[in-house]
Amino acid sequence: MARYEVPDGLYYTREHEWAKVLEDGTVLMGITDYAQEKLHDVVNVELPEVGARVRQMEAFASVDSVKATSEVYAPVSGEVIEVNEELLARPELLNQDPYGRGWIARIRPASSEELHGELEALMTADEYARYIEELEGKRV
Amino acid sequence: MAERTQLWLFHAKRARITEFAGYQMPLWYEGIISEHMAVREAVGVFDVSHMGRLLVEGPGAEGLLDITTTNDVIGLEPGRSQYSLMCNQDGGIVDDVVVLRLAEERFLLVVNAANRAKDLAWLRGHAKGLGGQVSIADLTGQVAMIAVQGPRALDVLTAVSKAERPLRSLRWHEFTEGQVAGVSALIARMGYTGEDGFELYIWGATPGEPERALRAWEAILEAGRELGIKPCGLGARDTLRLEAGYCLYGPDINEQTTPVEARLDFAVKIEKGQFIGREAIRRQMLKGPRRLRACLKLLERGVPRQGYKVLDEAGREVGHITSGTFSPLLRRGIAMAYLPPELARPGLEVLVDLRGHRRARAEVVEPPFYDTSKYGRRRRAS
Repeated sequence: MARYEVPDGLYYTREHEWAKVLEDGTVLMGITDYAQEKLHDVVNVELPEVGARVRQMEAFASVDSVKATSEVYAPVSGEVIEVNEELLARPELLNQDPYGRGWIARIRPASSEELHGELEALMTADEYARYIEELEGKRV
Repeated sequence: MAERTQLWLFHAKRARITEFAGYQMPLWYEGIISEHMAVREAVGVFDVSHMGRLLVEGPGAEGLLDITTTNDVIGLEPGRSQYSLMCNQDGGIVDDVVVLRLAEERFLLVVNAANRAKDLAWLRGHAKGLGGQVSIADLTGQVAMIAVQGPRALDVLTAVSKAERPLRSLRWHEFTEGQVAGVSALIARMGYTGEDGFELYIWGATPGEPERALRAWEAILEAGRELGIKPCGLGARDTLRLEAGYCLYGPDINEQTTPVEARLDFAVKIEKGQFIGREAIRRQMLKGPRRLRACLKLLERGVPRQGYKVLDEAGREVGHITSGTFSPLLRRGIAMAYLPPELARPGLEVLVDLRGHRRARAEVVEPPFYDTSKYGRRRRAS
């Protein structure tokens, strides 16, 4: 499935978010290449509040394409400590660079134990690549 | 199993597909925004073969349409079409339609895809009680329908067609017989985008024998290539009609809304005589409706969607969005909503609740949303 970029070392949700554990133990997150490709033409992003506490797989942001609004789910629980405000002026970054400048939020987990438990529930790059391949196979 | 139109072979290879009213239709080919802008700035071509086409003919055809539609069908001359409404006894809108008068006793009705079966039953039901013979046939699967829209639509279509009347001489809502790339077609100057444009009706094109429809479609794309023509999907069709301020049956108008509330009374000829819904509509015109359809332009970032609440400046709920989108031209959210008449006045401000995220300020505006000196079919020639 070379069509979609799925970087190694990240964790993935079934709702097409990615999570990257940074050296300081916080988690950077965004939506995957597959998600941005399916959305197409991202025109608006609603970001969470800095300081908000979220639970894993809670809808905490949303992304608008021309056609529809899609929820964005928190890949891990914790406190939102930073959001990518550049997206407010340039939502197209989600299309252009979903794993880089198109990041959405940074989350500080309550503890590394909780974080590692939650990461178990997410997919590795290999698993996610197979998952989207399956989804594609089901397409008409 | 969803149906496919005559142009499926083209869509299947090129488009993101969506299901709409039981049809597998192109949502977009290249992207909604670029397809939208092609229509506003040059020309785009749409497969609209999913729309219902009903042929109403016979000595009783005019009488049937006179009582079942709100516009003046008796005054409609052959070679012309009109936007009209079918209403029920309470004035609720059964469907919004375009009526083309092909001949004295022969009419083509273009109806919404999702309403086709309902409309057929409605017309047949009312035909029974009438004097004069009338036959009602569903031609949808036998007639392909292609829309060519945009300021350069006339140039493109002129290059690939021969017609009984020169296309440039057709006024809005007039049509002529002709040929597109050698394929016989009825060519009507009309559309649903706000731009100048044409709709082609190609008889003898079924999904099983799509060759004629495909030939016309490919020839139009070829003729428009240098002008930047794009095949456009239902996504752009929706953003274009919303920018133009046109209603979509289902969300914006339905059996629970009346022509007065929807501000479609230009298509209702109360003085023409008896028709279904006349009394209810007349009463509402005299009394004034309790709510009016309003067009809203967001003054802040955000994209309004169907079902979002509309609040007055004090935060009280006053209505909800019936359809909304991101306007590619204005680069902001636009929408329609039914509001109390005192709030549905251009220049007033309301708030749109963006599903709990934020409340965005919005201004009531007179449609269309775009600058009519630069865009739309009445733009100044440049």
